[in-house]
Amino acid sequence: MLNISAPGFSREAVVRLSRHKGEPEWMLQKRLQAWESYQRLAAPLGRRGDLGTRRTLANFNFQQLQPYISTEQGKLSPAIEESLQNALVNERSGLIIQHNSAVVHIELSEELKQQGVILTDLDTAVREYPEMVQQYFMTECVPVESSKYTALHAAFWSGGFFLYVPQGVEIEAPLLAQVWLDAANAAVFTHTLIIAEDMSSVRFVQEYTSGVPAEQQALLSDVIEVYAKSVARVEFSNLQDLGQNVWHITNKNSRHSSDGSVTFVIADLGSKLMLETIGAGLVGNGSAGELVGVFFTDHDQRFSIESLSLHDALSTNAETLVKGVLTDQSRVEFDGMIRIKPGAQQTASFLSAHGLLLSKKARAELIPGLEIAANEVSASHGATTGQIDEEQLFYLMVRGIPKEEAERIIVQGFFEPVLQRIPLENLRVRLRRSIVRRMRGAYETEADTWVDAQERWEIEGVDEGAIHLDGNPKDDEIKLMEY
Amino acid sequence: MGSELIIKNLHANIEGKPILRGVNLTVRQGEIHALMGPNGSGKSTLANVIMGNPKYEVTEGEIWFKGENILEYSPDRRARMRLFLAFQYPMSIPGVSVANFLRRSLEAVREGNRPLEEGENPSGRMQKRKTIPPAEFRKLLQEKMKLLRVDNSFINRSINDGFSGGEKKRAEILQMALLEPEIAIMDETDSGLDIDALKIVSESVNALTGPNLGILLITHYKRILDYIRPDYVHVMFNGRVVKSGDSALAQELEEKGYEWLKPEDEESENGEPVNA
Repeated sequence: MLNISAPGFSREAVVRLSRHKGEPEWMLQKRLQAWESYQRLAAPLGRRGDLGTRRTLANFNFQQLQPYISTEQGKLSPAIEESLQNALVNERSGLIIQHNSAVVHIELSEELKQQGVILTDLDTAVREYPEMVQQYFMTECVPVESSKYTALHAAFWSGGFFLYVPQGVEIEAPLLAQVWLDAANAAVFTHTLIIAEDMSSVRFVQEYTSGVPAEQQALLSDVIEVYAKSVARVEFSNLQDLGQNVWHITNKNSRHSSDGSVTFVIADLGSKLMLETIGAGLVGNGSAGELVGVFFTDHDQRFSIESLSLHDALSTNAETLVKGVLTDQSRVEFDGMIRIKPGAQQTASFLSAHGLLLSKKARAELIPGLEIAANEVSASHGATTGQIDEEQLFYLMVRGIPKEEAERIIVQGFFEPVLQRIPLENLRVRLRRSIVRRMRGAYETEADTWVDAQERWEIEGVDEGAIHLDGNPKDDEIKLMEY
Repeated sequence: MGSELIIKNLHANIEGKPILRGVNLTVRQGEIHALMGPNGSGKSTLANVIMGNPKYEVTEGEIWFKGENILEYSPDRRARMRLFLAFQYPMSIPGVSVANFLRRSLEAVREGNRPLEEGENPSGRMQKRKTIPPAEFRKLLQEKMKLLRVDNSFINRSINDGFSGGEKKRAEILQMALLEPEIAIMDETDSGLDIDALKIVSESVNALTGPNLGILLITHYKRILDYIRPDYVHVMFNGRVVKSGDSALAQELEEKGYEWLKPEDEESENGEPVNA
């Protein structure tokens, strides 16, 4: 029998993987069908005039990669431990960690276990909860044939996270998930399947980090499927901080029952090239989707991001807000679509995307799209790309702040409104820090002082220690008279 | 001896068009100078050129501050030498809180006159910098806010974002109070203010004046000079200072306008009407 870790994708490799895991026949058949789809489907290419990211990915030699990496169970490597320490928040309900192709650590509070919450790796879920996996895994939310790459994912997925929140269970503290990638020439597939039953609520924070040797390459392929049942609320945050030698293909989608709501908070900072497809499937009446996205690219990074707010029911709401900064020769394509199906009346949908270019060689193409087939809707979209305002820069410099730092301050300010939308403080603080550190010439302590100050003023609020002027503060208001 | 700002035969262009045509002016610490003149005479350009706005190209002349020719210095270095500009149109910078900005600005100005972040750092290591402890900064800021009777809600807002015209001007004066410049240029601080607002802003400025602060007050209305009494008044016309005097000159301008000061040789140059 061939080595399970041999490089290359093939039908034999699919069979080998499934046998190695001891999977039931139905999962093997699902994988084999997916493999056939992969072979049949064409790789997605971009529109004419795009920045060529998809073509670059299509030309990538997948066959050099190992579809499965054997991982020793047990002790985590020091690098993982360290990254984990940064990510951990004291208040958490559970933690699950995938190292390369396998989940190596799972913890969940006893209280939640007793309430019937299930947090496990997907391999285990296939064995223990086959009905649910058969019903929800790559069926309605992200179907196998969504693209050539999702088909490859379905054929070779491994590890993965399975979360089931029973009806009415509200999980206060977040669940944390980490994917750590450090094998050279690995194709790591991770899958997240979240099922939030009626009237439940949960916050799930997933992070991607890598430590692949610098001269080597690797691929991370993930699919995130979120089912928000009736009146369920799910908040899914993803911090992607992969090394710039990792290729990344990601599909994230939610499927909403009536009044179900899902918020995606996405921060894409790393990877060599990223193809991201993210959507909200608003198929339940009164459901709502929110996407808050932040990206920062430098060097030769290439991102292609596609978002879809799909309105296919009565009175659904969606809001998409994306902001990103590009520097060096990096390129980002963003295609944000609002699609309102016939009969999806009383829809409200909003989309905005803003790119800030810090280098003349960086390129951004942000394109909003709107397809409306209902008549009782309110929808708006907008996209802008620009450079740092020279007058703003001069203003800060005249206050003694050196140019590079002034640029960093403006970038920080550019991101701030989106960062304020990130509900989880730990994530918001670390993201601010990552952004500052990505910018050239930052002082050692700058990120910390900036972040701490921002947080402190936030916490203290407006009124603490307020100076009360004599009499009514209104008396002191200045009226403006125009000439 | 106090600091001196000496401008010698300063010529400057914007997009190739000459605006300053040989300005001579000296402002010393402790003195208040009013710079008046009609619209388009080059007053705001002078303010921007003194601070090193890259939009303008200096073609001739010198700017000396504290015994150094500062023409080649970056705007931030000039500021760290304690030169200050209160902007006519302060920029709003969304997402950056006034408190964070002022703290950083004060830290920078306290670093003093030396280049920062200019050129590559050969060690490749990030520099450490001095920071002002938040408690100390907060105390200082609140003192200044009390002095200028500025409401506390200022500090948690984004810089000038959604500020009214009056609030922006007061925020500029608050910055001036905090950064303690030796020479401050105030570019039409009175514009856009009604009488009440003008009074409040002027009182704030008067609270800061003294032997340690020299002011170059740019205005084209005499009104503000009723509140802030200048020691000297200069009139600018077509890119030059054409007349200087004491505060009586302001009164004379109020009565006679600017036209009588128009130098005859300025009538036309190269056969084209001068209207810079």
